[in-house]
Amino acid sequence: MATTTITKTEKLVGKRIRRREDPRLITGTATYVDDIKMPGMLYAAILRSPHAAAKIRSIDISKAKALKGVHAVFVGEDTKNAGAVPCGASLPGLRVPHHNVLAIDRVYLVGHPVAVVVATDRYIARDGVELIEVDYEVENAVADPEKALAPGAHAVHPQWPDNVAFTFHQEGGDVTKAFAEADVIVKQRIVSQRLIPNSMETRGVVADWHAADRTMNLYTSTQAPHLVRSLVAQILGLEENRFRVVAPEVGGGFGAKIQTYAEEILLAWISMKLQKPVKWIESRRENFLCTIHGRGHVDFYEIAAKRDGTITGIKLKIIQDLGAYFTVLTPAIPTLSVLMMPGLYRTPSISADIVGAFTNCTPTDAYRGAGRPEATHGIERMVDMVAAELKMDPAEIRLKNFVRNEEFPFPTATGLVYDSGDYSAPLKKAMEMAGYDKLRKEQVEARKQGRYMGIGLCAYGEICAFGPSPATPAGGWESATVKIEPSGQVTVLTGISPHGQGEETTFAQIVGDELGVGIDDVLVVHGDTSMVPYGIGTFGSRSTAVGGTALYFALQDLKATIKKFGEMLLESDDVTFAGGQCTCNKSGKSIGVKGIAAAAYRAMKLPPNTGPGLVATHFWEPPNFTFPFGAHLVVTEVNGETGDVSIKRYIAIDDCGNILNPLIVDGQVHGGVAQGIGQALWEQAVYDDNGQLVTGEFMDYTMPRAHMMPWIESGHTITPTPVNPLGVKGVGEAGTIGASPAVVNSVVDALSPLGVRHLDMPLTPEKLWKLISAGRNA
Amino acid sequence: MKISGSYFLPLPPEQAYQRLQDSQVLAEAMPGCESLDKIGEDEYRMKMKMALASLSGNFDGKVRITEQSPPNSFKLMVEGSGKVGFMKGEGLLKFTPKDAGTEVSYEGDVQVGGTIAAVGQRLIDGTAKMMIKRFFDKVAA
Repeated sequence: MATTTITKTEKLVGKRIRRREDPRLITGTATYVDDIKMPGMLYAAILRSPHAAAKIRSIDISKAKALKGVHAVFVGEDTKNAGAVPCGASLPGLRVPHHNVLAIDRVYLVGHPVAVVVATDRYIARDGVELIEVDYEVENAVADPEKALAPGAHAVHPQWPDNVAFTFHQEGGDVTKAFAEADVIVKQRIVSQRLIPNSMETRGVVADWHAADRTMNLYTSTQAPHLVRSLVAQILGLEENRFRVVAPEVGGGFGAKIQTYAEEILLAWISMKLQKPVKWIESRRENFLCTIHGRGHVDFYEIAAKRDGTITGIKLKIIQDLGAYFTVLTPAIPTLSVLMMPGLYRTPSISADIVGAFTNCTPTDAYRGAGRPEATHGIERMVDMVAAELKMDPAEIRLKNFVRNEEFPFPTATGLVYDSGDYSAPLKKAMEMAGYDKLRKEQVEARKQGRYMGIGLCAYGEICAFGPSPATPAGGWESATVKIEPSGQVTVLTGISPHGQGEETTFAQIVGDELGVGIDDVLVVHGDTSMVPYGIGTFGSRSTAVGGTALYFALQDLKATIKKFGEMLLESDDVTFAGGQCTCNKSGKSIGVKGIAAAAYRAMKLPPNTGPGLVATHFWEPPNFTFPFGAHLVVTEVNGETGDVSIKRYIAIDDCGNILNPLIVDGQVHGGVAQGIGQALWEQAVYDDNGQLVTGEFMDYTMPRAHMMPWIESGHTITPTPVNPLGVKGVGEAGTIGASPAVVNSVVDALSPLGVRHLDMPLTPEKLWKLISAGRNA
Repeated sequence: MKISGSYFLPLPPEQAYQRLQDSQVLAEAMPGCESLDKIGEDEYRMKMKMALASLSGNFDGKVRITEQSPPNSFKLMVEGSGKVGFMKGEGLLKFTPKDAGTEVSYEGDVQVGGTIAAVGQRLIDGTAKMMIKRFFDKVAA
């Protein structure tokens, strides 16, 4: 049986391997929720409130019910016992509104679900929705968090007239002393505007109840299928082991699909009620109104520094626009901003206060970066302002304040322990790539010619690889099962739920290297709770760092078993497993994974204390977060006639630890940068005073498009994390976190000759043109 | 949203005032108006079709005339709702003799909600002005 073969030595990890997910995506053969069709399936459409605040006097569903093809119409009264939308975050004194799946007696945001029509097809369902008559008693609304906190504001929830959902305070070091002894104190109000996440695929649900065996199959476009399972099963009083959640192909999430939404509960409830499979697909307009929004901060910063540029303290007050109710993480997001507020700097003293404000708006929750982009934007703007105040170069002040290499692991004033880093390296690399000194000279020339050229820097840190379980709402570990099938092919079952991050590829690379098998011999399965072990899901740049590590440890267990079979088959106790071969170090004889798999399943003979088969499962608990970092450098020129910002150079240097697949890492950085530039220049959710969302479709909400993107020069420094054996930190959110402050710093720098010190996003041509015109006329 | 403007009608104020309260004239002049039925003193039920940006839809609503001070001024209140949202508006119409006719000036507030607000609010200003102009053109004709 034993043969001698050449050991496979070529590593897959680190190679620029194309994503194995892409062929099905590119050829349009992937299966999304809306591709699922079942015999007898019904379709649901939801009537939503056109008012931001109103009492419901009455609802007349008779016409809708009479429409041919309509099976049922349900209102809030019917679904009273179907539970409420769950919030997973807890804070001391948190006021949690009870948000029913359908409104009962009042609505408190535009888009609030009021009734649902179930019909034989989606068009009839929509026609049915239009036949429902609701008599509303319209009330005043409040759509701005600062106005909501003002005395006499309309109460979003009558039981809490001050609109305060919670307050939160944290401090570290001695901030009073820092400010008392400061040479310079810089203050600024900084807004991180409300954004509307738009994944290519909107949300969608198919619920399929089988009463006879009490099983529920719920297909939903989610980032966290197990979380949906636990929550919806509990809400509806169903048995978790009979509740299957499938995230089929998911066309993007960006944090907006971590939540468990009203529609997931509602559809499951309808399927049980009608004993039929039911589908609901969110329209794009619904997506704008009813899927969570991101950001929504008004920040008041004060920063204390010494004359030499040493930052000694930061005070921050955050007003978080929470919206009208909570989804799974809503109130927790601004606390992440507090954790991240020192950025990459040594800052020994901080003080932070959050006021969470209810508004008659869509809830805010995690959106790419979730709390860290806001914090990074704040600190990186403030550092520039301190530099300007002290007439220092913005690069110099950063280099002066970075945590130093010998200080890791570094405890921050906010209670984190930064794992590892070389914070000056990416900034220096970006400056070298850009030719920083030369650019500054060019800028002097440009200014002489009356041109508005700017150079913006951002040095960002992140909190990634969520996370140690005590610090995450639903546990922060991850799971993996690896099975070598009798044929020798390998199946990975992972608890993460990728939806564009490429783990079907990167995980196969890890397996390929550890087991010495070809990448095509590995299948990565995810997103189906009936197939994969319980997992937490994909968000917070955690999939590879936590899920990949669980996989790594499962592979180590499996390798130990392989070695035992190798020893038995090679009749030696001196066997090495490498490159897919067990080799006897004495005889030189070897046997490959295929042969071992066949023997392990045929089980004619078994090694001592070893059962048949080759399967290993590992649940891994991370000891810490990871803290990736990097620097962006952006050169812009603002057109004085039109206010248009043109990005001349975009340099993104990221340190995400070891890189498993540079192609995927670049893709993540590029996509992230696009969303960060989107926030910096174009995107903004606008509500009018009555709580009407004015930017409710792509005509009014400017999404970044390919032709609006600059060429991104990306590069890396590599500081492997000691937190996990793969040395990976996470890269999903890096681009977004770095981009908005880098772009804004660049534009502020461009317009600084006009006396501009700070600008709030988005930097639309209209805003800049007005400023330039006013500056010229002054 | 505030709207205001003025329009010249080649009629004396008394006639202009009367014409602008004549339900038949209003029904014909209001763009998209499909029916206008009297349901009470100075109160009408109205069905209208309105198009805004990429949306069009039917509105069911009411028109009310209040604060009458002939031939100087009255207040017009319109509210309607339909599949695409709701609209609410009220305006004060003033009649001033000018040349051989009347200058009708109006000042009011328009509020929209629902889908129509989300997708078309930026265009409401322009659309409202256009509709008002068409309305007066027809009244004058």
